[in-house]
Amino acid sequence: MNAKGLQISTPTDSTIVLTRAFNAPRRLVWEAMFTPDKMRRWMMPPPGWTMTVCECEARVGGALRVVWKSEDADPAMTLHGEFTEVVTHERIVHTETMVLGSGETIGRLVETHAFTEEGGVTTMRITQAYGLKEERDGAIASGMDQGMEACYQRFDAVLAQPA
Amino acid sequence: MRSASVNLAFDTRELASPLRMTFPAATKHVRVLERATLVRRRVVGREHLCRLSAAPLRDAMLWTEQFRQNWEARFEALDALLEEMKSEEQTRSRRR
Repeated sequence: MNAKGLQISTPTDSTIVLTRAFNAPRRLVWEAMFTPDKMRRWMMPPPGWTMTVCECEARVGGALRVVWKSEDADPAMTLHGEFTEVVTHERIVHTETMVLGSGETIGRLVETHAFTEEGGVTTMRITQAYGLKEERDGAIASGMDQGMEACYQRFDAVLAQPA
Repeated sequence: MRSASVNLAFDTRELASPLRMTFPAATKHVRVLERATLVRRRVVGREHLCRLSAAPLRDAMLWTEQFRQNWEARFEALDALLEEMKSEEQTRSRRR
């Protein structure tokens, strides 16, 4: 049912852009993305994790807070942030900090969602702008096989090649 | 990744010659590849012999693939959710 496959790019050292199309009007995509009971449906955690808190107020100054627990830790990870720019159904910007259960911050970023609709198909473009390249990599690493850090570093070196 | 060509070593000058770049620029590229452990360099006299070591590329590919799959799984869940939301809306409008 994919209207268009997922595209991922890293336009700068500290940015990840994800683009994906959905067979639905953008009003519904927006609702699915920023309504807590809907978010619970698609924010799939790593195996063995459960979402315990999901709060999202999509208005300027509104808070975003999502907490997961795992078999070993509660919380296993907390994501919190604040909405800084909201143009309903079009564009929304929020800050986001990811903190492990241990208290270690593994990522800080500004996330922008932009929505365009054409013929009932909505294209969502998510831009994740990290303060540091290391934070981008940390965020990518979270929720995935954490033993692959060495690979990330090698991969960065490849990406850092002068064009 | 262990074809015969992989085991060949080339001098940096040799590597640079077919490319439209200066020798120092080519050296820079090689350094980056070296830091990424994709190239191993050995100095023999005046020659800097470079050998491809492609195994880490496989790790990088696995990792990017995992990142993609993780997001694709979320977006597929979103696809299913949106279908539900669309039919709920249709049901509501029919009742009206």
